[in-house]
Amino acid sequence: MTSKAVFSTIRRSLTKPRGGAVSRGHHLSTSAATASESYASDEHAILMKGVRISGRPLYLDMQSTTPLDPRVFDAMNASSIYDYGNPHSRTHLYGWEAENAVEVARIQVAKLIGASSKEIVFLSGATEANNTVVKGVMHFYKDKKRHVITTQTEHKCVLDSCRHLQQEGFEVTYLPVKTDGLVDLEMLRESIRPDTGLVSVMAVNNEIGVVQPMEEIGRICKEHKIPFHTDAAQAIGKIPVDVEKWNVSFMSMSGHKIYGPKGVGAMYVRRRPRVRLEPLMNGGGQERGLRSGTLATQQVVGFGVACELAMKEMEYDEKWIKRLQERLLNGVREKLDGVVVNGSLESRYAGNLNLSFAYVEGESLLMGLKEVAVSSGSACTSASLEPSYVLRALGVDEDMAHTSIRFGIGRFTTEEEIDKAVELTVKQVEKLREMSPLYEMVKDGIDIKNIQWSQH
Amino acid sequence: MLFRRLSRLGFRIAKELPKERHFSVCGRRILQRSYGQYLHSSAVTQTQTRTFRQALFSNNHNLCTSFSTSSGTSSEETKKINVIFVDKDGEEIHIKVPIGMNILEAAHENDIELEGACECSLACSTCHVIVMDTEYYNKLEEPTDEENDMLDLAFALTETSRLGCQVIAKPEIDGIRLAIPSATRNFAVDGFVPKPH
Repeated sequence: MTSKAVFSTIRRSLTKPRGGAVSRGHHLSTSAATASESYASDEHAILMKGVRISGRPLYLDMQSTTPLDPRVFDAMNASSIYDYGNPHSRTHLYGWEAENAVEVARIQVAKLIGASSKEIVFLSGATEANNTVVKGVMHFYKDKKRHVITTQTEHKCVLDSCRHLQQEGFEVTYLPVKTDGLVDLEMLRESIRPDTGLVSVMAVNNEIGVVQPMEEIGRICKEHKIPFHTDAAQAIGKIPVDVEKWNVSFMSMSGHKIYGPKGVGAMYVRRRPRVRLEPLMNGGGQERGLRSGTLATQQVVGFGVACELAMKEMEYDEKWIKRLQERLLNGVREKLDGVVVNGSLESRYAGNLNLSFAYVEGESLLMGLKEVAVSSGSACTSASLEPSYVLRALGVDEDMAHTSIRFGIGRFTTEEEIDKAVELTVKQVEKLREMSPLYEMVKDGIDIKNIQWSQH
Repeated sequence: MLFRRLSRLGFRIAKELPKERHFSVCGRRILQRSYGQYLHSSAVTQTQTRTFRQALFSNNHNLCTSFSTSSGTSSEETKKINVIFVDKDGEEIHIKVPIGMNILEAAHENDIELEGACECSLACSTCHVIVMDTEYYNKLEEPTDEENDMLDLAFALTETSRLGCQVIAKPEIDGIRLAIPSATRNFAVDGFVPKPH
């Protein structure tokens, strides 16, 4: 009975023509709620999961996914309608046209990372690429190489693949990171063994945004002749990537992190010196035998166009995003104290700002920031109850880890969005701190660490 | 001028005549037959002419169109090396391969089940063999990019895999052991083995 009412309200609010704040044309620059007091009276408010908000939230979660660039959509649209042939059909024009479209996309992706187009393999995303590389390399060399080195801050798909390998009998070293999030190169050197088959370090971390010292790690791997894999899903199109400079043997790339479509990604597999993989997908031998299956032509075309655009606009985007990041950080720091940036501020991608607010509870902060779409930890851990393992690896205390908010700034973020986000965050944090007994105690000069909490 | 050129050509032909040759099947049949009479009836030439005649009468041209010349004069026996094939059941087959011949050809001459669908043109992976000892693998030359690309598609690929048609017999790999994988990329799951085996 009540659910029917809820659904009819939703239907009514969705089908009503929207005025003012939200309109289809301004999807990308989402405008925030006007006044927080007028929720109950606002007829155009959105009611979702029992929460009423008077407009679409600001989108500041670029690390989980990015909106589709309209130019990418144009290319994909045309390709979906016209390039419907199977790109692996060798016998007729439809196949040849589709194959041509795929090859053009391959060249576009390869140019972005400084590789040859023969070294790019398309698949369904960075998760599949990570799985294929980690499991495939170790399974191929399983007689001689039994050891994998990775870091504690990797993406869950890499860590889960490594755990799966451990179940099969391989040994994995999870390198700890320093408090700024960067890998300790000496520790990496020490953990290399004669039977190390793979080193996997992600280029830009999705949670804290730090950029690892890729050239140095590549040099170490080259010295010891170990294949070097990097999950560059957050890095391509944002920082300059060069597989020769970094001496990378494998690289995972994702389409939907660079304003491309979801459901597509690519894997760079070096041809000289050749490194071998056991494929996860067996079949007709498409994509150099490493990933059999028909390619989704329009997805691949979209990914290619997104890469080309990213290459052209990388410098401009970097300047814009850096400016917005400084605006956000300075705006918050002016009004609040006890704001900690998680991860190195120097070796960082500007579009990822992970802030911890002391003496504030994270979930309640997120609930209060209904008009800002941000994430706490990463999208992959938000479903589970554990606090972020990345922040734990940084040595952040549990209470600070719980209050972390990740702001993601992208190509389409506007200054007004940043200003509004700053305003809302500051207001919410101040409100919560007012209620917080811990904050009161700190203001009175009591050292929280010395308090004896009673056992539950 | 012309006479001089002709005489030079004639000289060269006369020099090459007595040497043993492995001609391509198409176009030189008549020549080969007549040479067969001239050549000494050594064991090598007999097998060569025998397999040539087999190829003549069978429709499958499984002889690769490659040239292999002996290093000495016709009176010397061609230097050979020992090669051991290990088939998928573990049975060992010892053969002798003349230097300069590629392994696929050698296998075909000795009726070993190694399919060579593209006839040494680096367009398939059916002559995939696995070098069983790493030291012998290191003695072989590095595979080219094209060979590696085809090897990527091979079934049951290992670290020491090579394409049989690209492994040329040389004295350093005397005694090499080559394992034949249990299947090729062709889907003969019903046990079908293509002719001429």
